Amino acid sequence: MKQRLALLALVAAFALAPLAAGPYLLSVLMLVLTMAYLGQAWNIMMGFAGQLSLGHSLYGGLGAYVAAALFVQFGIPGALGLVAAIAVAVAAGAVIGALGFRFGVKGVYFALLTIAFAEFTRVLFEHIPGLGGPGGLFLPVASRAGVDLLYLRGHPLMFYYLILAMTVGIFLLCRRLLESRLGFYWLAVREDQEAAAALGINVFRAKMWAVMLSAGLTAAGGVFFAFYYNTLFPTQAFGMDRSISIILAPIVGGLGTLFGPILGALILTPLGETITWGTEALGFNAAGLKQLFYGLALLGIVKFLPDGVWPWLRRRLGWDGDEDGSA
Amino acid sequence: MSESRSPIINRRGFVAAGAAGAVALGMGGSIGRARAAQPVKVGLLLPLSGSLAREGQSCKRGAEVTPALLADLGMPVQLMIADTETNIDTARTRAEKLIADGAQVLIGAFESAQTLAVAQVCEQRGVPLVINIAAAPNITEQGFKTVFRNFPTAPRLVGEGLSLMKDLFKASGVTPSKAVFMHNNDTFGSAMAGAVGKIFPTLDMPFAIAETISYDGAARDLAVEVGKAKATGADLLILVAHGEDSIKVIREMVKQRFEPKAIVSPGSPGMYEVQFYKTLGKYADYSMTNLPWINPKSKMSQALLAAFAKAYPDALFEMNVGYTFEAILIAADAAKRAGSPEPKALLEVLPATNITDHVMIGGAITFDAKGQNNNTRSATIQNFGGKPLVVLPAEAAEAKPVFPVPGWQQRG
Repeated sequence: MKQRLALLALVAAFALAPLAAGPYLLSVLMLVLTMAYLGQAWNIMMGFAGQLSLGHSLYGGLGAYVAAALFVQFGIPGALGLVAAIAVAVAAGAVIGALGFRFGVKGVYFALLTIAFAEFTRVLFEHIPGLGGPGGLFLPVASRAGVDLLYLRGHPLMFYYLILAMTVGIFLLCRRLLESRLGFYWLAVREDQEAAAALGINVFRAKMWAVMLSAGLTAAGGVFFAFYYNTLFPTQAFGMDRSISIILAPIVGGLGTLFGPILGALILTPLGETITWGTEALGFNAAGLKQLFYGLALLGIVKFLPDGVWPWLRRRLGWDGDEDGSA
Repeated sequence: MSESRSPIINRRGFVAAGAAGAVALGMGGSIGRARAAQPVKVGLLLPLSGSLAREGQSCKRGAEVTPALLADLGMPVQLMIADTETNIDTARTRAEKLIADGAQVLIGAFESAQTLAVAQVCEQRGVPLVINIAAAPNITEQGFKTVFRNFPTAPRLVGEGLSLMKDLFKASGVTPSKAVFMHNNDTFGSAMAGAVGKIFPTLDMPFAIAETISYDGAARDLAVEVGKAKATGADLLILVAHGEDSIKVIREMVKQRFEPKAIVSPGSPGMYEVQFYKTLGKYADYSMTNLPWINPKSKMSQALLAAFAKAYPDALFEMNVGYTFEAILIAADAAKRAGSPEPKALLEVLPATNITDHVMIGGAITFDAKGQNNNTRSATIQNFGGKPLVVLPAEAAEAKPVFPVPGWQQRG
């Protein structure tokens, strides 16, 4: 109950933030929400099902490019392009999953497979002139006012509430999934794949569901990215940097937990901004100093809270026995 | 080779030069008196860390020597520098932060994706953005009212990079019969190769490209690729490379005695970098690059060069420095003409910008209805004695172009 109340308070705070926050703070909150959303999508695969993907930018990039290309080339609204984007990303996830899981590619080798696919796709998209190649794909920024959810064109506030809704939506979906039979299968597979199989769980199918769901949800995040920024470059959309940024929030917050990706995003983005502010205020304007402090902070979190911040915080708050304790 | 260099002028000379330019701008009287105007707060967005850190730092060096020079012209500026970390998310957030902190005009952001992200913020907030460097044509095709770009678009860059070769052949009276095109297969190299492939057939060039060879810049050596290039029998090498791989290409050419009439880059950074000169010594000489460059004949650029050399004696004075200086100059000039540094006032006068005295080669800085300056012009720079000198266009040349270039063993 306490966790539910905390979540409601958090959602309310985010919903009311535009009343008090200026554009700068809103842009930071949007980064928090985007990080939380994508982290939650990745958490399904790694946190719930135990399958390490280090090339998750593949799905986000595919989603972004598919919806953007449909919009730029054929004028298809972003909301409809989203369906195609999810379908393509799910298909890509299915191919990678089938290859990896059918042939017993596990652990770091599966992670390498995901990186290979992301890199291969990056190179491929750099050689598709119709999608801008390495010169990038630009969406026309025709409407910057109003709200057009069909075409995903409008004021930054529209995008703010959209990503807020997506983040709340994916949280509720993940909660429902964790309480479902499939969720229990995932946890069993994550803890001991052989034992799960011995108990009659179709391990291959459970893992395929995880990768396809995760891919589809990440693609939706990619569509948001494309229509918010209106620019796509293969190096950014499919790059390793993007993959790493996706996984940071759940790792810092707590792998396999529902609150972990949200808490991780709430820590990491403001931490980066605070370090920037702090170094500027102290007169240390050396470039890269922020990344240095950021790295040290991450090192500290990983060293002293290896399970992530959320499990530790939950214990400190005495919420372990809460009805949502598993979250 | 003949070489002539104009004397470097000091800040006093810069004021004189600025005053001369100011007459053309219709503000002569105010320059001499250098009245104390309200400084315009310039938010500068640059990739100071991340994969484009080298270029971002180069821009920053240019920016840091600018306020003192402009203050002498009665155009005070206050710089607020922010690091985009070569990241589109950070670029957008930093832009918002700079505006929240009081920036009245933004300048940046070196790379097209980040620049478009910043442009959207500026459009939303009604704050002008002066683009120092970003080449994607789409940026000025979006109907933005707050975006002004003083940098050529990518097709123009490549087009001029190639057509300057014709000027080179005309100036020297020698024309190669065929060329081989080698390029790094990374994002930049592939983009350049795509543009060359598209634009080359439209320019009626006097030679054919016998073969296009792409290579992995991270390869240990490029013996096979250079051997293949030599086997084409080409007498011109068109090279798109970065610092490290351009060194590998030249080393291998020396080893294999591949001696085309010239090595020309249609706009990549590799062959005028400090490391290129330090590593290759005499073999770095005579390589040519066609790109926008500082006008050595302009008194304003000489003053900038002097200030830059004093502040950064070991750093390369390159295109990034000049364009960043000019972007700040545009903002300061607008504030001066508007009589106010407020964003709204700047936006009213920026479309009428007409700066005849500036530092980069090209015509007056003006903007078309889309906010694009179409008067930029590329130059051919050639390496002599470990430094790049302008050899074309003739009116800005510091030296005559050497073409064909001496063989590897004929260099002193």
